[in-house]
Amino acid sequence: MKTVLAIENVYKSFSTGFIPKKREILKGISFSVAEGEIFGYLGPNGAGKTTTLKSVLGLIFPDEGRIELLGRPHLDPRAKERLGFLPENPYFYDYLTAREFLDFYGQLFGIAKSVRDERTARLLKVVGMDRSSGLQLRKFSRGMLQRVGLAQALINDPAFVILDEPLGGLDPLGRKEIRDIILNLRREGKTVLFTSHILQDIEMICDRVAIIVGGRILSQGKLTDLISEKVLFTEVTVSGVEVHELAALGESLTAQADRVLLKVVEEDKVQDILALVQKKNGRVHSLIPRTQTLEDLFVDMVKPQ
Amino acid sequence: MKKNVSLGLVLVLLALSFMGLKVRIEQIPRPKVPGSSIIYLPSGKYLKMTTFGYSSLAADLIYIWAIQYYGDTAIADRFAYFTHIFDVISELDPKYIDPYRIGALIAIYDNQDIPLALKILDMGLAKNPDQWIFPLEAGHYAQMYAKDHELAKAYFKKAMDIPGAPNVAKRLYAAASFKTSDLKTAWETWLEVYQTAPDDQIKKIASNHLYEVKAAVDTAALKSALEKYRERFGRNPVELRQLVRAGFLSSLPQDLDGKDYLYDPQTGEIKTQVSPWKR
Amino acid sequence: MTIKILKVIALNTFKEAVRDRILYLLLFFAAVSILFARVLALLTVGDRAKIVKDVGLASISLFGALMAILIGTGLVYKEIEKRTIFTIISKPIRRPEFLLGKFFGLVLTLFVMLLAMSLIFLALVFVHTGTIEWTLLAAILFIFLELVLITAVAIFFSCFSTPILSSLFALSFYFIGHFSWSLETFIKKARPGATKVLLQVLYAVLPDLENFNLKTEVVHGLPLSAAHLLYSAAYGIVYTAFILALAVLIFRRRDFV
Repeated sequence: MKTVLAIENVYKSFSTGFIPKKREILKGISFSVAEGEIFGYLGPNGAGKTTTLKSVLGLIFPDEGRIELLGRPHLDPRAKERLGFLPENPYFYDYLTAREFLDFYGQLFGIAKSVRDERTARLLKVVGMDRSSGLQLRKFSRGMLQRVGLAQALINDPAFVILDEPLGGLDPLGRKEIRDIILNLRREGKTVLFTSHILQDIEMICDRVAIIVGGRILSQGKLTDLISEKVLFTEVTVSGVEVHELAALGESLTAQADRVLLKVVEEDKVQDILALVQKKNGRVHSLIPRTQTLEDLFVDMVKPQ
Repeated sequence: MKKNVSLGLVLVLLALSFMGLKVRIEQIPRPKVPGSSIIYLPSGKYLKMTTFGYSSLAADLIYIWAIQYYGDTAIADRFAYFTHIFDVISELDPKYIDPYRIGALIAIYDNQDIPLALKILDMGLAKNPDQWIFPLEAGHYAQMYAKDHELAKAYFKKAMDIPGAPNVAKRLYAAASFKTSDLKTAWETWLEVYQTAPDDQIKKIASNHLYEVKAAVDTAALKSALEKYRERFGRNPVELRQLVRAGFLSSLPQDLDGKDYLYDPQTGEIKTQVSPWKR
Repeated sequence: MTIKILKVIALNTFKEAVRDRILYLLLFFAAVSILFARVLALLTVGDRAKIVKDVGLASISLFGALMAILIGTGLVYKEIEKRTIFTIISKPIRRPEFLLGKFFGLVLTLFVMLLAMSLIFLALVFVHTGTIEWTLLAAILFIFLELVLITAVAIFFSCFSTPILSSLFALSFYFIGHFSWSLETFIKKARPGATKVLLQVLYAVLPDLENFNLKTEVVHGLPLSAAHLLYSAAYGIVYTAFILALAVLIFRRRDFV
């Protein structure tokens, strides 16, 4: 399996302030992204996510460590030929129209005019911005900028796409659209690395993740490996049974009208409840096993800090 | 790192190149049209507006530049804009005394232009009526270089009337009055000097001048009488008493010390017994 | 360093600069200033054409410099501040290419603006003298050379300083450059010692912008020395290259936080 991005032992500190005080941001991080996967990079604010990405792109120069991008040293301009990037809170030249904007970036790759025109039109359609193609970027809302930014990241038909918080500021429909685009990219054989705070999204589409806390990678690997499938507890909503009768079997969370919501820890107790309900001719309205979520894992990792 | 070193070398090379070129360019003479750099020095009023309250600093700078400019004798026609430049300086900082005085000095020594010098000093006085130094120096220049005692007298009077003026102004006024044959004023002024003299030396000087003035007045009277005598009698009198007897003089004048004047009947000359300065 | 990439960035920068309103404000004032020369000329007794030429050239020089400084000092700073540079650097472009592209874009803008001002100016001169004087074009060409140098300086400051500070620095540079003679005077009058050495160093390093000022020769109809023109042009180019190299040095290893 080819590695699209390899980060080895990267350190970075900044000296800020009038009397320079050194602040360590990255304290020796290492991880890699394999070809064809969707990789989630998460961590709390200030952990070093954006610093990592900036180091990969050459906006920042690490003090120590090695970064290899698409098989080349990361600062080699040729490494960026098949790379696409969307920054967080994107800012673009607001005096350009959406079409001019994409055309400009296309020119930076040396893409021929006919190909540029075709791709610009197609990508604007894909991100849902084709009707605003002649509008100046200064008039775009944040969500619109995000979409057009994604189009820019794809203008060179990249093999590897890095997205910094691509789903922020979008409504649920927008988030679904972007998620679908990302999934589509994987279907096309591309690799995607993205950072997000919205853990549900990461859970939904990522193959592998890395969690960075306080400048260190605390955990990385396949999602399925990191999160156990063990059931923590089950939430059961029933009716037709008296609350006191259920008390022994589970913790009553709410009791409204005739419905009771129970939190049941032991698996066999669930069976007992089902039997009881059947005996009393009641109804089971819902039965939801709660497994460990990424959020649980995340909170557990972050809390001790 | 390697890239930075090569870039550094390029920098050094370029720096040496342009420094070398600069030296070469300086050797190429460029025509200097006198006054070309200052012809658009706008009038002081407008310049004052643009200096945003730093007008006195601007005045200093222009003054310093002017001194260098006028010191450069290679610039042949540099006095063409003299008035304009000093106009500007005085407009920017009317209370700045030096430029007026030095300007006048430059006008006299470098260009032998006395009216110009006096004009500058007049400007100074107009803007600073309390500065006695301006009319004092103007009177000095008028007297020394233009030999215009009438003008000098007017200046010294101006200087004298300014409160705080040194006593010498009065004395200069008196002396100038004498030179312009305004004997009445000369007498009165020297009398004032005598009466208000702060020390014996000044008193002696005043006294000597009073002697001189009296001698001049008396000599004129005697000569006038002699003239009338000659008209009547066709010859000079033997002694001066004859003028009184003949009725051409009411009395015989004597010098300030009470001594008689010396008279030569052959030539008709009247002289004092002693020089006013050797009494 | 590919010419293609330079062209892309330069043209984009040109598009950006040309949409900056301050450019048109300055162009308006330059036009007013040049036309004001006509008013001044009417008040003069004697050679009217001289005043028109003098004021016209001075206006072009001054407003050109202001354009170069006011736009140049924002050029790089805005990209860093507004973070538009993030997406650019993620493309296969080297940092020096980006910087030089910006420089050429602004030079192109200034060229167009200078052309506009020159046309107004030459038209006015034509009204006064009935001829088109080619020596005036030489003077304007050297004004352009001077503007190119000042652009480089403005962009240099823009790499690490805010637009306000950069503008102050660049303006000071412009004024010191034109009052080089005063520096010479100071050096002659200074007593030998540390101050004198410092002043001499300053004098050697800072350019004498008066070398690009052909106003005196052109307005008084004096001959232009070929040696002076050649060496001055060479000086301008070398000095500009020096400033740009310095800017590249600073820009290269800068962390864009």
